[in-house]
Amino acid sequence: MDSTLLSASAGTSRTSAATRRTVLAGVLLAGACVLGLLEAGVASPVPGVRLGLANIAVLVALVSLGEGPALAVSILRVGIVGLATGTLFGPTSALAVAGAFAAWAAMVIALRSPARFSLVGVSIAGSAAHVSAQFAVAAILVGAPGIFGLASFSLLASLLFGIATGLVARLVISRLEGSVLTGR
Amino acid sequence: MNRADWILALAIVVLALLVGPAVHAASATAPASIVTITGPSGTSEVPLATDAELHVTGLDGEVVVVIEHGAARVEDSSCPDRVCVRSGAISDSGEVIVCIPNGVTIRIGGERSDGLDAVVR
Repeated sequence: MDSTLLSASAGTSRTSAATRRTVLAGVLLAGACVLGLLEAGVASPVPGVRLGLANIAVLVALVSLGEGPALAVSILRVGIVGLATGTLFGPTSALAVAGAFAAWAAMVIALRSPARFSLVGVSIAGSAAHVSAQFAVAAILVGAPGIFGLASFSLLASLLFGIATGLVARLVISRLEGSVLTGR
Repeated sequence: MNRADWILALAIVVLALLVGPAVHAASATAPASIVTITGPSGTSEVPLATDAELHVTGLDGEVVVVIEHGAARVEDSSCPDRVCVRSGAISDSGEVIVCIPNGVTIRIGGERSDGLDAVVR
């Protein structure tokens, strides 16, 4: 985040809270799309199964904006990345939507749960749910439950990715705190 | 990472390590249990579960197929190189033993009904 840009707009106008939230949601959606596209270019051990870099943006949205906007960021991201990569409405999209929704749901549950997960824990939950949901949908689409045999590797990878995305999200959120975008 | 995070991470590791063997066990009981033997005189399907010794007439003589302990192998063949005999036993779906001189193939699994050899996504 470029602080000069943020402070310039802070000085000149009293941005309403609603506008701030909209802007932040847009920024996070853009970030999620970039991360999604980046990930689409990286080979995955199982075709169509992604580890969920874009969860960084969804997690930031979840913490700073709330559950609804986070879901919007996540699902819109899937649509935009699908459009950009040409996989929209294909089988890959079904995987992506299932993964995105499951990740969001798991992170909501983890945030609300009395277990007091840190951001990293919430991110791990989202990441694991993301991978699991994709495998479940893939098994249904292909009609071969045998592909769950590949799930071990992907789950372990998702754990590492979850920790990484959680740390990044924590960093981003700490920078956002007090900035004009969050209005705090 | 706090304590709850570590417990969650540990749970995922355990789940990841369990899912492989679980799938293996589930697919072991699932019936992928037919051997398709194709020779010059036609095709026949035999169950993999029942032990049997089959004598298949090939182009060059006889191929002896033995089904034992849920695996199929070529016990003996009249062909010169005996590649089929040295192929060993097969038991997983899609595995094939071929005896080219005799024109005999032994394949685990039934013939695909859609006429496709394989599907790649």
